[in-house]
Amino acid sequence: MRKITKLILALLLVAVLGTTAFAQSAPPAAGANLTIGLVMVGPYNDHGWSQANYDGAQYVVAKVPGTKLVYIDKANSADRPGTTVSQLGESLVAQGAKLVIFSSDDMSDEAVKFAQAHKDVFVIMTSGDQTWKDGKAYKDLPNMICIMGRMEYMKMVAGVAAAMTTQTGKIGFLGPLINDETRRLASSAYLGAKYAWVNYLKKDPAKLSFKVTWIGFWFNIPGVTSDPTQVADDFFNSGYDVVISGIDTTEAVTEAAKYAAQGKKVFAIPYDYAKAIDEGKGVSLGVPYFNWGPAYVTTVKAAMAGTWKSHWEWNAPDWKNINNPDTGAVGFNKGTLTKDASASVDKFIAELAKGLNLWKGPLALQDGSAYLKAGEAATDKQVWYLPQLLQGMEGQSVSK
Amino acid sequence: MLIELRDICKTFGPVRANAGISLAVPPASVLGILGENGAGKSTLMKILSGFQPPDSGSIIIDGEAATIRSPADALARGIGMLHQDPLDFPPLRLIDDLILGSRGPLRPDRKKAAREFRELAVRFDFDLDHEAYVDSLTVGERQQLEILRLLWLGARALILDEPTTGISLPQKQKLFATIRLLADEGMTVLFVSHKLEDVESLCDRAVVLRQGALVGSSEPPFDTKRLVELMFGKEVPQTPRYKIPCGETVLAARGLCLESLRLQIKDLDLEVYAGEVVGLAGMEGSGQAIFLASCAGLERAVAGSVCLDETDMTSRSHHDFKREGVAYLPAARLEEGLVPGLSLEDHFILAEGKRGLFIDRREAEREAVSRIASYNIKGRPDSPVESLSGGNQQRALLALLRDKLSLILVEHPTRGLDIESTIYIWSKLKERCSQGTAIVFISSDLDEILQYSDRVLVFFAGRVSPPLSAEDLGVEELGRLIGGKGWERFEASATAETAEASHV
Amino acid sequence: MSDSRALKPLFQGAAVVLALGLTTLVLLATKAPPLAAYVNIARGAVGTVSVALDVLVAWVPLLLVTSGLLVTFTVGLWNIGIEGQITFGAIFATWALRSFQGGAASGAIDPALAIALSVLAGMAGGALWAMLVGALKTFGGVNEIFGGLGLNYVATALNLWLIFGPWKRPGVASMSGTVPFDKALWLPTINEQSRFAPIAVVLALVAIAVVFALIQGTYFGLRLKAVGKNPKAAYLLGIPTWQYTMASFAICGILAGLAGAVQVTSVYHRLIPSISSGYGYMGLMVSMLVNFSAAVAAPVALFFAALNVGSIQLPITLKLDSSLAGVLQGTLVLFVILAEGARMRFMKKGGRKA
Repeated sequence: MRKITKLILALLLVAVLGTTAFAQSAPPAAGANLTIGLVMVGPYNDHGWSQANYDGAQYVVAKVPGTKLVYIDKANSADRPGTTVSQLGESLVAQGAKLVIFSSDDMSDEAVKFAQAHKDVFVIMTSGDQTWKDGKAYKDLPNMICIMGRMEYMKMVAGVAAAMTTQTGKIGFLGPLINDETRRLASSAYLGAKYAWVNYLKKDPAKLSFKVTWIGFWFNIPGVTSDPTQVADDFFNSGYDVVISGIDTTEAVTEAAKYAAQGKKVFAIPYDYAKAIDEGKGVSLGVPYFNWGPAYVTTVKAAMAGTWKSHWEWNAPDWKNINNPDTGAVGFNKGTLTKDASASVDKFIAELAKGLNLWKGPLALQDGSAYLKAGEAATDKQVWYLPQLLQGMEGQSVSK
Repeated sequence: MLIELRDICKTFGPVRANAGISLAVPPASVLGILGENGAGKSTLMKILSGFQPPDSGSIIIDGEAATIRSPADALARGIGMLHQDPLDFPPLRLIDDLILGSRGPLRPDRKKAAREFRELAVRFDFDLDHEAYVDSLTVGERQQLEILRLLWLGARALILDEPTTGISLPQKQKLFATIRLLADEGMTVLFVSHKLEDVESLCDRAVVLRQGALVGSSEPPFDTKRLVELMFGKEVPQTPRYKIPCGETVLAARGLCLESLRLQIKDLDLEVYAGEVVGLAGMEGSGQAIFLASCAGLERAVAGSVCLDETDMTSRSHHDFKREGVAYLPAARLEEGLVPGLSLEDHFILAEGKRGLFIDRREAEREAVSRIASYNIKGRPDSPVESLSGGNQQRALLALLRDKLSLILVEHPTRGLDIESTIYIWSKLKERCSQGTAIVFISSDLDEILQYSDRVLVFFAGRVSPPLSAEDLGVEELGRLIGGKGWERFEASATAETAEASHV
Repeated sequence: MSDSRALKPLFQGAAVVLALGLTTLVLLATKAPPLAAYVNIARGAVGTVSVALDVLVAWVPLLLVTSGLLVTFTVGLWNIGIEGQITFGAIFATWALRSFQGGAASGAIDPALAIALSVLAGMAGGALWAMLVGALKTFGGVNEIFGGLGLNYVATALNLWLIFGPWKRPGVASMSGTVPFDKALWLPTINEQSRFAPIAVVLALVAIAVVFALIQGTYFGLRLKAVGKNPKAAYLLGIPTWQYTMASFAICGILAGLAGAVQVTSVYHRLIPSISSGYGYMGLMVSMLVNFSAAVAAPVALFFAALNVGSIQLPITLKLDSSLAGVLQGTLVLFVILAEGARMRFMKKGGRKA
């Protein structure tokens, strides 16, 4: 009995001493070899958000010599009950990871806990704003970098594709949970759709219906979230002939394919993952996707070279070629589009490249309150922290 | 169908339920099978109807040896059994109940079955609608349905187990008429009952089972006295009774009305005095058990009152009765009285009902050792109660009783015990009486009733006799009363009393 | 008697071997290296101080829940509703922590007191939910398994509604959980980096010790046993059976609620949808495995916790699903129960021959 007590005390002592606080500075250069740990919220092969991150990490391993990848997927409390995300991060550290990518908004609290607890480990918080000096959630975390792509552009493109395709004038948006990110992305899709509706199709904006339905999480958790399959079906059954997906997984496309097989003329736009259009040949209008590779490469290189500096990045597309895998952070793969629609999409992308800004006043929020005055362009902060959906959109802005 | 049973034996552990029974039942006759509870009637019928195999012996049907492996097997051979609790499927329509048991094709011909059902019903003058639901029927109607079902399935021999329990008089008359009609048409009928009157009025012959053996048979005209003797054994010489002077009233039941699923007891009056022993006699299920339970607060009265020592205890809980000094010892010792898995010592601790947090095990063991010694229990303080023999379990139950009690209620105090234990148990009970405790007990052993009671109450189908002095009661008369004979005199005296009362 | 005692370890050893064998077969069937899998689980559970402490973190709720279940099992009840009771404990603790948050920040209330009160609130919540199951059983005649299952769903639904509704993060509606509490309201851990809260371990050990003493040494425990083994006889022996049934539910609920409160204050620091983490069902398995005796519950629960934590390594190193731990736990319980049954039969046969 006494021996056991001593042993426990010794263990505790080791634990306390072994983790004494480091000074407030970035960890030292990782050197020529670096094991990267990737924590994904969904399955690594979800054909969506998690897979895009997985591919990004694989891109790093291919491009940066001396790097190795260890990963854990399904890092959510429904799939791995009893675990915490920081605990899962630590299990990657135990496998040698010196840089850990927490690749979901869902992990932000735990990622901060982890970064604070492991000051010797580089941390990338994907989609976060915790290291944005001007942001609302700023924390002094020298070992953390937050990375996000300017998906707003590609969601606008998706909106254009949807507007050019819809026959009923009703576009559905299959939303995940409600937060700043999802509000601004849903709104971007709406801005794109409205722009095409008014400027390309010359139709009355009041005749465009754009409805957002949220499921409650990034993907389906049976019994916890609304079922995205059900939500997509509801859209298609109530006259919405294009559904833009905002969730991590591909239910919208799968359901569109099912209805198309029954002879309905319906379409969907998946999200996140470049190859997600393959899910439903003939019903995918295209996919706005993330290309995490380039940004991850830059950051990993900085960690290895010792030039790591905590910052926040919100990376733009490469307007020269939005689908260049080695440059831009976001892209759009065109799918089944009519000639006309395809031309409009190309035209719209060219306009964006030339500096078209749809986040420009006059714009009002959903409840009618002023958002941007006429001619006023939104700042990054105004876009990132969009408080509500925009006027003209149906659906919840914040939870009731 | 001629049914012959040859040398049927069946034992359950130490109990010989059937000890070499041989019997022949010719077609077109009704054979009555009499016997008290536990005489072996049910076992024999279960063997014949395929519910259980005999240990040895053979069944011969129409001269051919038959092995009956299951009830379905029996039915295939034409033997159908009508159970005391009809085995039907209540949420069904009658017609579906009928079809369910048939071995027909996968999709039965409902129309044909319905037509045949109607024909049968008309033949026996049963008023049954085949589209009605089974759970809307009375017990008597369910019996009729079951008879029709067995006939429809081709039964040529019918076994009826206590069929007159729980049905009304007109239903009983109709049942008997049906049985007669069937027998006249060639049916072989076995009629199991403990009611002498029923057997006498219906059967062509009666046999009596006692303690697993066939002890005699009789043909009409029946001699009731002889049947009673056969059923309950010869009259035993009375041992001289140690008369305890009766004290004050400890229990008073006034106008007590009780109801159970199958019977009703009306206006029962009884006063029990300190130090006396009251025996409750009757066939099992005649109402004595619910009466005893109602005296312990375990059964709620529909009307009337139960008083203990002038305190009205009506509809109070058993624990209130316990606090007033009433103890209740159930018949099912291991099922209701003791806690299997706990030791004797644990039981003594529980029975003591001490308050406090921690158990003083040393003290408890000392107490257990002393109780075990004073009740002569063969066991150690740490013996699990289920490891004890029946006699020792009963001793343990007695040892659990508190020291000062005003009333002890016992179900079957010596059932299944050997002579030594029986004598010991009663000596302990009588010891209590000498201290002023009253005892009310149930027994199906007439000798026990007569030997140990001061007064006796006889129960028959919910009817209760007035308290009878055990001294003046013989085994024969008691047996007749238990079998439902000779009750007229109570009614006569009761009506006389009321008549007198109204004159005054 | 002595003969059967000697046989017991033999049968149980056989059960463990069979469980390992079946799990190995499952591994071979999926073309995974069994030895490497077991080594990885072991390394993942005790390989470093940090994972060893994580095992203790998982051990705490599991042991608390098991302690509670031992009490309800003693009265012969299958408290399947334990999951809901954990959830309710977490909800009540969260509610208390949320209401103390302002006071703790402004110094109006001592954070330690706020935590203590919140943990107490969690215990009350668990007890409330458990007694509801008890009341349904006692007064409504609803079997505790059905009542418990039903109330589990209700608790989950309520939890989701709170997270998605009244307790949502400002401007957010997500199943991720509520806003984390102020650090001041976290159950103190050994250091900032760790999730390991020694107080929680102490609480769990106290719980199992109290339950052990309660069942083994007190009048209360003996009466619970009597009610569990034969309610009719217990009633005739003068034990108010339904009160004891309710009391056992209350005790189990208190411990389940404590487990929920600990999850909220020391592990997640917020309320999440699957806050019970399946510890309730796992506790049922542990209780069955230890044959409902408190004496060995702590080490067996520790073993289960170690399997759970250790199996996290499987997807990382071997690309195996970590539910393998569940397979091993499940087969273990199954085979031990089977072995016990086999032993009983074996003894009966031997007895008959003798």
